[in-house]
Amino acid sequence: MSLATLTRAWEPMSYGFLDGSAKREVRRKMLKAVAVPGCQMPYASREVPMARGWGTGGLQVSCTLLNPKMRVKVIDQGADDSVNAASIRKFLARVSGAPTTTDTLEADLIQSRHRIPEEILREDQVLVLQVPNPEPLRPVQPNMSIARQMHADADYGRMWLQLYEQIVRAGRVMQGASYPSLVNGRFIMTPSPIPRWDVPKLHMAKHLTILSAGREKRLYVVPPYTRVEPLVFDDVPYRVEEHGGLTCTRSGATGFFMNEIPQDDGSSAYEISDSDFGVKSIRKREGEEVAFGATWYTGGEMEGQGR
Amino acid sequence: MAYVATRGGERAIEQSQRLFRAEMGEITRERVAEIRRAMPYLVDRAMGEASLYDEDLAALALAQTGGEPYEAILLLRAWRTTQPRLQVAAPVRQEDLFTHRRISAAFKDIPGGQVLGPTLDYSHRILETGVLAGEAFVPPPVEPAAVPAPARQPSVAAWQAENGLLELPGDDAALGNEIPDITREPVMFPAKRAHTLQSLARAETGGVLALGYAAQRGYGQAHPTVNELRLAEAEIRVRHPRGTTFSAGRVKISQAEVVSKSGTQLGLGFAATLGWNEVKVIAAATLDLNAPGAEKGSATEEEFFVYHTEGVESSGFCIHFKLPHYVTFQSSLDAMRDAKAKKAATEKAPEPAE
Repeated sequence: MSLATLTRAWEPMSYGFLDGSAKREVRRKMLKAVAVPGCQMPYASREVPMARGWGTGGLQVSCTLLNPKMRVKVIDQGADDSVNAASIRKFLARVSGAPTTTDTLEADLIQSRHRIPEEILREDQVLVLQVPNPEPLRPVQPNMSIARQMHADADYGRMWLQLYEQIVRAGRVMQGASYPSLVNGRFIMTPSPIPRWDVPKLHMAKHLTILSAGREKRLYVVPPYTRVEPLVFDDVPYRVEEHGGLTCTRSGATGFFMNEIPQDDGSSAYEISDSDFGVKSIRKREGEEVAFGATWYTGGEMEGQGR
Repeated sequence: MAYVATRGGERAIEQSQRLFRAEMGEITRERVAEIRRAMPYLVDRAMGEASLYDEDLAALALAQTGGEPYEAILLLRAWRTTQPRLQVAAPVRQEDLFTHRRISAAFKDIPGGQVLGPTLDYSHRILETGVLAGEAFVPPPVEPAAVPAPARQPSVAAWQAENGLLELPGDDAALGNEIPDITREPVMFPAKRAHTLQSLARAETGGVLALGYAAQRGYGQAHPTVNELRLAEAEIRVRHPRGTTFSAGRVKISQAEVVSKSGTQLGLGFAATLGWNEVKVIAAATLDLNAPGAEKGSATEEEFFVYHTEGVESSGFCIHFKLPHYVTFQSSLDAMRDAKAKKAATEKAPEPAE
């Protein structure tokens, strides 16, 4: 018997890049976060070969979860072909051997920055959202230690006050993306900077959503079939972006979240923000047989979100 | 077909990296060796901020990034995090340091003596422009002292403690893997002492200086007196599996003790880092000195300076704003346009005047 027979051959990099102890910690924190929906779990957050703020939190979760049998999709601003999404997809495939896809229906794990795809995710799919700032209370309390105490006490008065002040000053809630939402009736979380359009997709969703902030070293979870309720007053309903009536100039599809493209003549054109869904819509228009999944929104409206 | 050809995106990434690297040309072992030899203070700074002591890797990181410090340190940190922890070295005590330079501003002379050591403090900052004209700059040889300064010296704080001027912090009994480690667990506030000192040790020099300077200029309560500044080499003593303790080599370290009158006693601030970096440890020790009782959210408050002097995190976040944000922007525009329309509607239909 020799040392060589007892150990594995030296490798320059662990499978999935992170070493065993880092993955174990992330796994434990994810389980804890599933058990306490919406509660931010601090984790060590190892350095990865990408700059902080560029998806390192999502990357650590994906590196921990991926195996060669999982198919991975990476999007940024809804697009698979954005340079940073391409870079992350390449890294994940390289360190895990997982096959990649751009089709939401084919993906087992979707790592995303700022969007949730338009097709309804299934129970067997995992969505990993990259989070720049995990703390919904930051605008009212920049100190993380105090904010943590406020979460413990469910001391959310200032969040409501903030919304109230916006309504008084501007006539409406001015929050753009990252709309603060109550998870399972207990913790306020930021859903990451997804547009308001996407927040209702998390409510009682079939899929598991893991939100991870690498730089800020926090992760939290929306487990399947969990309530996610945007903070709203009874008499001022939640409003998603007015995109329901917009038509994609490239595919002719209507009723989805759009990218606004400024035109030379001073007007705007629109294209579907979910790039894979946009591509499918174009192919369909060109007469191809395309498999669409059911979408969260139909005719620009989401069930239960009518105004 | 694709929205924007995916391969196009990947190709653009590849070519942009080539463009960056083409500037610097071939990276050879010789180039790395020359960086290590010619720029020890830059290498030290990188090692300190990376919290990884390896002069060759630090020089390589600097070579690979064309001297872009944030990129170089990220490279080192990302490499460091994948390395197994084989051993935890024995604690290093001040009196055991192999000291090259040790000065005190608190007393004219100190037990063990003031040792000026290598420094540019009293140099006249004049460029040797002759070098550019082809005259090599040959540093005049050092004339050794007849009696060398003692290599190992006590700390000034120890003398002050003996004389009832300050209370030394108690010995931390944690050993080996029990020592809290900022790289393996998240920092929570109020922070563990080890976490604070480790954060300062790997903090970004410019960030620590900015906040330390703010404290020194009056945004802190305590004015620092440099009790002792030391540049030294520390022996890394580790235990062999057979049980013997041996030296795995020496690492360069810097440390600073600063003191300030605090009632009838002196308050003590401390910082140490890998490599020789005097500005960093004086500024960091100033922050440590000012931290107790600092107002939440002030520059000298622990949570504030620990988060905001983290160079890899702060630089990464700063440059992430280059990434597309058109979804969030669209979402804000939507709210803004609607609010604007509402405002215009109310202005058009004013309340009838009485």
